[in-house]
Amino acid sequence: MIKIENLTKHYYAVQGRVEAINGLNLEVDDGEIFGMIGPSGAGKSTLIRMLNLLEEPTSGTININGTDLTELSSQNLRGARQKIGMIFQHFNLLTSRTVLGNVAFPLEIAGVAKKKRRKKAKELIELVGLSDRADHYPAQLSGGQKQRVGIARALANDPDLLLSDEATSSLDPESTKSVLELLGKIRDEMNLTIILITHEMGVIKDICDRVAVLEAGQIIEEGSIIDIFSKPQKPLTKKFISSVIDFDLPERIIKYVKTERPGELIRISFVGEKTHDPYISDLVKHYSVDANILYGNIDEIQGVPFGTLVLDLEGQLTNIEESIAYLKSQGLRVEVLDNV
Amino acid sequence: MFNLITDLARYNDLMISGSLETLYMVAMSLFFAIVGGIPLGVLTTITRPGHILPNKPLNFILDGIINIGRSIPFIILMVAVIPFTRMIVGTSIGTNAAVVPLSLAAIPFMGRVTDNAILEIDQGVVESAQSMGASPLQIVFKVLLPESLPAIILGLTLTSISLVSYSAMAGAVGGGGLGDIAIRYGYQRFQLAVMLETIVILVIMVQLIQFAGNQIASFFDHRA
Repeated sequence: MIKIENLTKHYYAVQGRVEAINGLNLEVDDGEIFGMIGPSGAGKSTLIRMLNLLEEPTSGTININGTDLTELSSQNLRGARQKIGMIFQHFNLLTSRTVLGNVAFPLEIAGVAKKKRRKKAKELIELVGLSDRADHYPAQLSGGQKQRVGIARALANDPDLLLSDEATSSLDPESTKSVLELLGKIRDEMNLTIILITHEMGVIKDICDRVAVLEAGQIIEEGSIIDIFSKPQKPLTKKFISSVIDFDLPERIIKYVKTERPGELIRISFVGEKTHDPYISDLVKHYSVDANILYGNIDEIQGVPFGTLVLDLEGQLTNIEESIAYLKSQGLRVEVLDNV
Repeated sequence: MFNLITDLARYNDLMISGSLETLYMVAMSLFFAIVGGIPLGVLTTITRPGHILPNKPLNFILDGIINIGRSIPFIILMVAVIPFTRMIVGTSIGTNAAVVPLSLAAIPFMGRVTDNAILEIDQGVVESAQSMGASPLQIVFKVLLPESLPAIILGLTLTSISLVSYSAMAGAVGGGGLGDIAIRYGYQRFQLAVMLETIVILVIMVQLIQFAGNQIASFFDHRA
């Protein structure tokens, strides 16, 4: 388990003192894929680089499986780092070594015998699906393939934790998807904890279990993916979510809300199995209201359906009120749209 | 024309021994440039702020040594170090004696070339090695040197060519080699043919060194 307490990083730049990370606390469970998202300058890169002390914290502790990294001697830190894999936005492969040589490199650093290195490296290259490229140099590979090499290399010393520093940010959508799938696969197979930073909400949505939203060196919101996506609190979180899921009502609906109309306009948000239950037909059957669907979208987050529906309810006012109460009693989020 | 060729034929042995002397001086001082200059360059780079072993005072000293060494004109260096040369070789005349100032000039030159070659390596690659738990020594031998090898080879080529030209100057003070022949025969005895021949040999030598350097560097270069 990873436990970060009161982590602070200040440094001095041309423009003066920069407070990159400000008293940050965080816990990440074993086997979790934990995402951190934030705009550029939020401190996410500084934060992830502090998790293996590439960046030295100004104060605070970083506890990984019971060891406080900030307390370690440089020699012990090197040992601890062997158990923390890291992948990078620009891959950072050795240009002078082949794929095999790159994957074997961390094993070489750890002092593993040559025969064993080769065997292990070959297994990992197979795991990431690059067996036919083992003797190629990085310059001969595509971006997605380079990142696969980076992942194989990061896994060489059987780490407990994998840090991903914008690993998909310079990849095309297709490669991003396959690299994320690979990360999910290795987490499942190796029971690895993955902490990743990104500025793309799509990455968070696709593979993370939990997410923290970073702004100005602090976590402003944190929770499970479903919770964050269905009930975002902060404007920044909403902004990130709207980049992958459309929350905003179309202009057409907004205009309609402002017109005189007989019924009530409501928005229902739902998560999970609730999408399978026939609420709307219940409504129509039991409360004698007409429900006219004006707008809706259903998305899926890691297999959990998730969506929003805008209904125009027509009928007697008491019936409408009762039907809204019914929907709420079923655990749905209902908003009456008087003014949008 | 016929006279020119018969003239030259008389100096064949001289030309061959002169070329060999030049090559000997270049090779010897290149050896010392590798042994002295590459470690000097590596140490200069890694002690820079933000590199793997930042050390401001040491970096200042090493950088200073390189700059001072490179700022002394070779002809002056050669004369200035004569006592030192005598101490090491026992004499200040001849090819062996010429190797001393040539090496002293080549070491800082190679130091700067190595420094530049290593600085070209993406800092991210160094960081990735650090993130794997590599020690500074492992980073030097497994990352910095292999990654900068093509650039270092091109730097050695450059150093060799400078050494060819410096060795001609060493000839002027009794160091032997092609420069010595060009001065004594070509200039002082007005033997134009000898002068021309030394120039042709030097040009060919430089071309060959450059060609070989490029070939070897591209053999090790997998960046593209």
